[in-house]
Amino acid sequence: MSNLSEKVQAVFQEPGCVKNRAKSDKERKKGCTKQLQPGAAAGGCAFDGAKIALQPITDVVHLVHGPIACEGNSWDNRGSKSSDSHLYRMGFTTDIQEMDVVYGGEKRLFRAIKEAIDRYDPPAVFVYQTCVPALIGDDIDAVCQAAKKQFGRPIVPVQSPGFAGSKNLGNKLAGEALLDHVIGTEEPAYTTPCDVNIIGEYNLAGELWQVKPLLDQLGIRILACISGNAKYQEIASCHRAKATILVCSKAMINIARKMEEKYGIPFFEGSFYGISDMSDALRHLARLLVGRGAPEELLSKTEILIRREEQKAWEKLKTYQKQLAGKRVLLITGGVKSWSVVSALQEVGMEIVGTSVKKSTDEDKERIKKLMGEEAHMIEEMTPREMYRMLKEARADIMLSGGRSQFVALKAKMPWLDINQERHHAYAGYDGMVALVAEIDRALSNPVWQEVRLPAPWQEA
Amino acid sequence: METNGETKSQNAENVLDHFHLFRQPQYLEMFERKKREFEDPTCSDEVERIREWTKTKEYRDKNFAREAITINPAKACQPLGAIFAAVGFEGTLPFVHGSQGCVAYFRSHFSRHFKEPSGCVSSSMTEDAAVFGGLNNMIDGLANSYALYKPKMIAVSTTCMAEVIGDDLNAFIKNAREKGSVPQDFDVPFAHTPSFVGSHITGYDNMMKGILEYFWDGKAKTVPPLVREPNGRINLIIGFDGNVVGNVREVRRILDLMGVDYLIVSDNSDVWDTPADGTFRMYDGGTKLSEISDALHSKATISMQSFCTPKTLPYIEKKGQETIGLHYPIGIAATDRFLQEVSRLSGKPIPESLEKERGRLVDAIADSSAHIHGKRFAVYADPDVALGITGFLLELGAEPAHVLATNADAAWEGKVRELFSSSPFGAGCQVYPGKDLWHLRSLLFTEPVDFMIGNTYAKYLERDTGTPLIRLGFPIFDRHHHHRYPVWGYQGALNVLVWILDKIFDEMDRNTNVPAKSDYSFDIIR
Repeated sequence: MSNLSEKVQAVFQEPGCVKNRAKSDKERKKGCTKQLQPGAAAGGCAFDGAKIALQPITDVVHLVHGPIACEGNSWDNRGSKSSDSHLYRMGFTTDIQEMDVVYGGEKRLFRAIKEAIDRYDPPAVFVYQTCVPALIGDDIDAVCQAAKKQFGRPIVPVQSPGFAGSKNLGNKLAGEALLDHVIGTEEPAYTTPCDVNIIGEYNLAGELWQVKPLLDQLGIRILACISGNAKYQEIASCHRAKATILVCSKAMINIARKMEEKYGIPFFEGSFYGISDMSDALRHLARLLVGRGAPEELLSKTEILIRREEQKAWEKLKTYQKQLAGKRVLLITGGVKSWSVVSALQEVGMEIVGTSVKKSTDEDKERIKKLMGEEAHMIEEMTPREMYRMLKEARADIMLSGGRSQFVALKAKMPWLDINQERHHAYAGYDGMVALVAEIDRALSNPVWQEVRLPAPWQEA
Repeated sequence: METNGETKSQNAENVLDHFHLFRQPQYLEMFERKKREFEDPTCSDEVERIREWTKTKEYRDKNFAREAITINPAKACQPLGAIFAAVGFEGTLPFVHGSQGCVAYFRSHFSRHFKEPSGCVSSSMTEDAAVFGGLNNMIDGLANSYALYKPKMIAVSTTCMAEVIGDDLNAFIKNAREKGSVPQDFDVPFAHTPSFVGSHITGYDNMMKGILEYFWDGKAKTVPPLVREPNGRINLIIGFDGNVVGNVREVRRILDLMGVDYLIVSDNSDVWDTPADGTFRMYDGGTKLSEISDALHSKATISMQSFCTPKTLPYIEKKGQETIGLHYPIGIAATDRFLQEVSRLSGKPIPESLEKERGRLVDAIADSSAHIHGKRFAVYADPDVALGITGFLLELGAEPAHVLATNADAAWEGKVRELFSSSPFGAGCQVYPGKDLWHLRSLLFTEPVDFMIGNTYAKYLERDTGTPLIRLGFPIFDRHHHHRYPVWGYQGALNVLVWILDKIFDEMDRNTNVPAKSDYSFDIIR
């Protein structure tokens, strides 16, 4: 346990985190996880956060050590896509029973690791700690150590039991596991001056594939994407990258920052959502690479690509601008998307009537203010009831939201479009923006919204 | 594939059935040899060329220029509908005057759809009868069926054979009664139902009108006609409906919730859904004979399927009732209209519980709207059913690109066009009255759609064109128990919604389930 609390403390101290920097020493020690109010609805736990951060690594066995609840409920629940192995989509768990709780689950875990290796021969096994074995004192670090020796391949303990804290904390603890056990343990077959890492991109609905062709055209190689569509070996050898783009500002900043510290890889925060954001990201990346020895012409190549792609995207968007200009949008999502989507939608002339900032950093909020003006309607945490009221009052034409709030939106007679992790359309890059706008257009024109807003005809009289 | 081991032919220890037998190498080889040596086959390239040609616009134009031949018609004949109407009355034996082969078809048709025995007799006319007239067959037939099956009423319809030779049912039945085939006061309503006119929905109309006329206008001049004494009751006529079992029960539930005084005229929901409890029920449930007379006094009659009652409804109206014609109410607006008419006629408000059901349906549609939005559908069915489905698809934001009914006319075409123009999703959609499933095949090749809604026969179209089929209508032979689910009312629309969605998701899964090729999109959450 001491190991875990040290880790948690380390994450709380994370100097890369803007929130942390603003705190006093004492506040920082208390941690950034707000105590949850018992009885109030809450988000996912630290285990969930760790699992979703790492699950997109495609070719390893993700073995959840715990009772059936943890993996049983979370198995393959994210639309993270793979171009190769599908091992990551299988649910592996030790499914511990009452007797394991009494006698300890370490032996079962060890055998589970063995069976997984015998059957699937993965390059590595990720072992996830959960509440019950953590409480009874199963030492998964020790088990992983022993298994590593026995089976001659990496067995990675992910110390992020649910009670440790929030989902966001779990994201970061997952990052710590990668830093401690994976990154830097192998060498790439070769390197190029244009090798980059992408951190915080999970290839949901295949969004990485909307970006990768652009990088390919520029001759930029993705050494590792953490963790969308990643293979174990890629992450293990990603410390040789020349630059890093961090696309989710909250989840894995610790990886980016520590890799900069340890391996000297510079990073910047960018976004793949929205046309100008995408262009900025490419520009920034090219500049960083050139600064680290990539050929100078990369800059001009990037500009040519940006001009061509932007033009293509704008032409496609033009057809929607007419219908969508002036439509009012409400964003209920979190983290990076709150500002990157804002700018994207403004590009097609839509008006943002409010955006949630629950998971946003102060920096995110600053960006939102810059984009939407000082009056920006920023919505902190809210109960479904409040959300319902807000939606009714907001008089927006459409809400973009995650899977959880969409149903509240519907009850408030608000058209919605899912832009969170369970969505099935990819919205990244230039093509993704066109896809997003096309989806908004479709959602707005669906006849059911009229039906939703009209009372039953016998009530009109 | 199951094989038969080492042996070259069937093995008594392991007899292969048709699923597997003819896939054995020895059979494949034999078929090949037979074709080569005895059939003078066209070369397979040419066969393939013609097959491809049948998918072209050129072939479609020729296909639509067809004048004489009907290929794969989506309709059945009048007596089928007459029987459908007749069995909805208490203890009623449908009796088809004509040849017995037709009746065997009707019985198997219903049995295959409803998975229930279907009682129906014929007068078994033969060559003699065709020459000398079928009077004796009527006399003997009524006597035998009365004695054998102990019905409370016998409803007589006709096959083509009796119609061609011009047998007069009214006179024949009168004769039979005089000869003592049935008691003097035994009810024998009748309707002429020639199959060369109209379709099964015409037969439904004729028999329904025949029965009402018989009871209301003096039982073929054996008693004085009834005099209407209006009351507050509402009659409902269901029409020919493959989902009748579920629909009637749903309608009853709704009307009971509203506390309306109503009468379903011809309710065959029980006779086609009898329990397996050791008792054989040749007759079960149905509208009581006394209620048929009472129905004259009702305030109004709602036909749930207007194209099933083009003669019946005006007849009722002439008697002084208000009549309302609906078109197979599937979906929100269609159900709204039904409830509002009932509410207006009965003076009973629509209860909150139904309003909640409505809200739930709207909620469900909204939840899934993204998946149906803009999907193109081909629909074929009986006219009213096609209208009901088309209206619902438009509500869902789907495009009913081809709407076809073999047994429909210009009036129906106009109604469908009206629906199309009521929604932006109807723009560019086409309606095809009087066309058959071979026409639809051409349409599916030249203007493909995402999904098709139709009865079992559409499975051939599904096979030929690859258009996934959602089964709705009559008959449904190859899937069981769909008729037990309502498609009317808000609950019914929910069923249809789920069937459509199931197919959409099945297709999505089917298109993404190849291991290591497309299963990156084979998702748990849809």
